[in-house]
Amino acid sequence: MIELLQHLVNGLSVGAIYALIALGYTMVYGVLQLINFANGDVLMVGAMMGYYVASWTGEGRHPTYGGAALILISSMAMCGVLGFLIERFAYRPLRDRPRINSLITAIGVSFLLEYGGQLVFKPGPYSFEIAPYQLPMNVGGLYVSWSDAITLGLAFALMLVLQWIVYRTKIGMAMRAISHDPRIAALMGVNVDFVISFTFVLGSVLAAAAGVLYGMKYHRVDPLMGLLPGLKAFVAAVLGGIGNVPGAMAGGILLGLVEELVAGYTSSSFRDAIAFGILILVLLVRPSGLFGKTVVEKV
Amino acid sequence: MAKTTGTFKSPRARAFVAAWWPIAAALPALWVLRAALPSGERSYYLQIALLCGCNAIAAVSLNLVNGATGQFSLGHAGFMAVGGYTAATLLHAISPDQLSISIPLFVLVLLLAGGAAAVAGYAVGKPSLRLRGDYLAIVTLGFGEIIRVVIENTPFLGGATGLSGISMPADAFWIGLAVFATILTIRRLMLSTHGRAFLAVREDEVAAQAMGVDTTGYKVRAFVISAFFAGIAGALLGGLYHNLSPKSFTFVKSIEVVAMVVLGGLGSVTGSVVAAVLLTLLPEVLRPLQEATGLDFRMTLYSMTLILLMLFRPEGLLGQREVWDLWKKRRARREAAPAATDAEPIVRVEHATLRFGGLTAVSDFNLTLKAGELVALIGPNGAGKTTVFNLLTGVYPPSEGRILVGGRSTQGLAPHEISALGLARTFQNIRLFKQLTAFDNVRIACHGKARESMAGAVRRSARALSEEAWIAERAEEFLEVLGLAHRRDELAKNLPYGEQRRLEIARALASGPRVLLLDEPAAGMNASETASLMETVRGIRDRFGLAIFLIEHDMKLVMGISERILVLDHGVIIAEGAPKAIVQDPKVIEAYLGAASEDAA
Repeated sequence: MIELLQHLVNGLSVGAIYALIALGYTMVYGVLQLINFANGDVLMVGAMMGYYVASWTGEGRHPTYGGAALILISSMAMCGVLGFLIERFAYRPLRDRPRINSLITAIGVSFLLEYGGQLVFKPGPYSFEIAPYQLPMNVGGLYVSWSDAITLGLAFALMLVLQWIVYRTKIGMAMRAISHDPRIAALMGVNVDFVISFTFVLGSVLAAAAGVLYGMKYHRVDPLMGLLPGLKAFVAAVLGGIGNVPGAMAGGILLGLVEELVAGYTSSSFRDAIAFGILILVLLVRPSGLFGKTVVEKV
Repeated sequence: MAKTTGTFKSPRARAFVAAWWPIAAALPALWVLRAALPSGERSYYLQIALLCGCNAIAAVSLNLVNGATGQFSLGHAGFMAVGGYTAATLLHAISPDQLSISIPLFVLVLLLAGGAAAVAGYAVGKPSLRLRGDYLAIVTLGFGEIIRVVIENTPFLGGATGLSGISMPADAFWIGLAVFATILTIRRLMLSTHGRAFLAVREDEVAAQAMGVDTTGYKVRAFVISAFFAGIAGALLGGLYHNLSPKSFTFVKSIEVVAMVVLGGLGSVTGSVVAAVLLTLLPEVLRPLQEATGLDFRMTLYSMTLILLMLFRPEGLLGQREVWDLWKKRRARREAAPAATDAEPIVRVEHATLRFGGLTAVSDFNLTLKAGELVALIGPNGAGKTTVFNLLTGVYPPSEGRILVGGRSTQGLAPHEISALGLARTFQNIRLFKQLTAFDNVRIACHGKARESMAGAVRRSARALSEEAWIAERAEEFLEVLGLAHRRDELAKNLPYGEQRRLEIARALASGPRVLLLDEPAAGMNASETASLMETVRGIRDRFGLAIFLIEHDMKLVMGISERILVLDHGVIIAEGAPKAIVQDPKVIEAYLGAASEDAA
C-alpha cells in the first residue's frame, strides 16, 4: 500500500512536469497545427539557464526564497525570448507553405538547440544540486522531497494561470479564435502574428519552468536532456487530445502516473518505451485523444 | 533507358535486353572496380565511399515513403536496425567462427535481412499509415525507438553494447551492387503505374481513391519496400564496421536520413543519392576543424541544413527532378488513336438514404442510369447534390437502401473498388494532383486498368512495357478529346481554371468509366466557356457511349443538354422528368423561386 502511494506521489510529480511541457505543444498546435518539436529543447535551455544562475548566486549552498525565484524567473524570461525568436525566424516565414516544411524545420530547430547546445554548454552533464530542496522527507512512511512539493504546487499554479489566460482574457479568446480559423480571426481584427508570438512565448515560459523542475528532480542537466521529456510530453498532449488545454494537463498527469506504475511494478529498463506504446495505442484506437473531437475531411 | 536495341528482331528479345542491360553492364563494371582497388586493409577513403553507399541506400529507400508517397516516416533507423541485427545474427549462426561465408549464402542473408525489415515495415505501417502528417511522423518515431529499446534489452542481441565480429564481404562490389539495385528498383517503380499511384496518394488521397488507387494499400507497399532496402542498408553497415550497436540506430540516425532526403529533394531518387554522399562527406571534410576544436559539428550542421533548406529552398537540391533531367528536356511524343468503349445499362439506386446522426441528408433517393443517357441533378444550395455523388462513389455508405453498379451492390466496397466497377467522378472543388503534369494526372487514372505487377515493373517485363505504352496512348487521347493536348507536360496547378476543370474530366474519363459523374463542371466559368464545355460533354457522351450524370445549379444551362432532370430539395427528389416538364412543375418553381437568390450563387 505504502509502495503504491509512493509510486503515486512520484508519478504525480513527473506527470505535473509533463503536463507543463505538454501545454506548450498543445497551445502551439492549437494555433498553428504544428508540432513544435523544439519545445523539449526549450526546456533544456531553461534548465541550463537555471543551472548557471544557481551556480552564480550560490543557491546550491545557501538557498534562499529570493534565489529560487530568481532562478525560475530568469530562466522563464530567457526561454520566452528564445520561443519568440524561434517562431519569428524559423516558423513564421513558412506559415503559408505545406505543413511538412514546418515539421522538418521544427525537427531542425530541435536538433540545432541540442547539438548547438553541446557546442555552447559543452556536453556535460552537470549536477544540479540544491540539496535542501532535494533531500527526501519522511511523511508517514512516504518519501517526499521539497522539490516534489514545489513541483506540484508550482505546476498547478501555472496551469491555473494558463487556464485563466486562455479562457478568461482577451488574448486567450484571440488564441482560441485563431485555432478555429486564422484567416477569419484576422478579418475580425485579431493581430494574428502577435497572438502566435504570444502563444510561443507562453509555451516556452512553461517549458522553462518545467526544465528547472525537471533538472531539480533528477539532479542533473545536460544539452540533450530535453529530448525525452519533450517526446513524452508530446505523447501526453496527444493523449489528452492535441489542441485541448485541459486535455494536455490531464494527459501529462496520466502519463506520469502510468509510466511510474508500469515501470515500478515491471522492468524499468523499458520505461522509455512505455510512452511510445501509449502513444501508438491512443493514435490507433482514438486518434483524437481522450478529450478531442474527431474531424472528418469534407469532400 | 533502352537505346541500342536495333539488332534484335523479336519484341520479346528487345524487351528482355531493355530490361536487363543496366544490370548486365553494372556487374562487370563493379567487378573491375573492386579488382582495381588495392587489396588488404581498407583505406580511409574507401571506407568513407562505402559509407556513402550505405547511406545512399537508406536515403533512396526512405524517399519512396517521404518523397514519392508523401508520408512522413521518422523511424527509418528502426528498420535499418532490424536488417542489421538479422544479418548479424544469421551470420553468427551460419559461421560461429566468423570465417568468411560463401557468396550465395551472403546474398541470402542480405535478402533475409531486407525481408525481416520488410516484415517489420508491414507490422508498423499497416496500423499507423491510417494517420497522416505529423501524427505519422511521431508514431514512426515511436516505433523506431521501441525497436531500439527492445534490442537494447535483449541479451541475445548483445544488449546495450551490441554485436561485434560481424564478418561479411561488404566491399565495393556488393555495396555498389546494392546501391545500384536499390536505385534501379525504385526508379523503375516510379516510372510505372505503381509509381504514379504513389504520387497520387501524395497529391490528393480522395481523388486518388476516386481514380481507382487503393491508397492504404499503396502506402503500406511503399513502407514495406522502403523498409526492405533499409534493412539491407543496415546489414551492410554492420558488415562495414564489423559491429552493430543500438546507439547507431537512434532517432538521430533517422533524422540524418531524413536530412538527406530533404536536401536531395523529396521525390528525386538521384537527389537522395547526391545528398547522401554530400552529407556523409561533410563531417569528414570538417574533421580537421573538429579535431582542432574538439567539438562535434555534425548534428549541428544537419540541423542547420534542414532549417535553411526549408526557409530558402524547400524543394531541395533537385526538387522532383532527377540528375539527368538537368541536361535533357523531355521530348514530347504526339500520337492519337481512335477508340470506342462499349457501355451497358449501369446504375441503379434503390431507396438510398443517408443520415448523419439525426440529420437526414438524402432520403429515399432512386435513380436508374442507362448507357448513353445524359441526366442532370439540380437543386438549390444545400439540397444534398454532392452528397448524392458521395453516396454513389462510396465516400459515404448509405444508411438505408442499396446502390447497384453494373448489377453489383456497392455495399462494403471502398471508393477505389467502386471506381473499378466503372464509376468516375470529378469534384466540385477541383482535386487535381497539382504537382503532377496534365499527362500524369490522366495516366494515374488508367491505374485501375493496369495489370502489371510491381515485380514486372521493376524487371521491365514485355507486358509491363506494352501496358505503359498503352496507358500513355490512352492518356494522350483523352487530353486530345478535352482539347488539352498542348498542355500535356504542364503542371496541373499552372493550368487556367477552365482547363483544370477539363483536365479533371479527362482524368475521370481515363479511368475507363461506364458512368461519368460531373460535379458542377461549369462552376466558375463564364457563359461562353460553359457553352463550349457542355458541347464537349455531349461529344464525350456520343463518342464513348457513357452515361453521364451531372450536378448543376443553373437550370437554364442543363435544359439544353440533358434528357432527364432530377430535382433535389432538402435531400428529397421533388420532381423528375424531361426538361420541359420540369420547368413547369410547381414544386420546382417553388423550390427555386422560394430561394431565388440562391439560384445565382
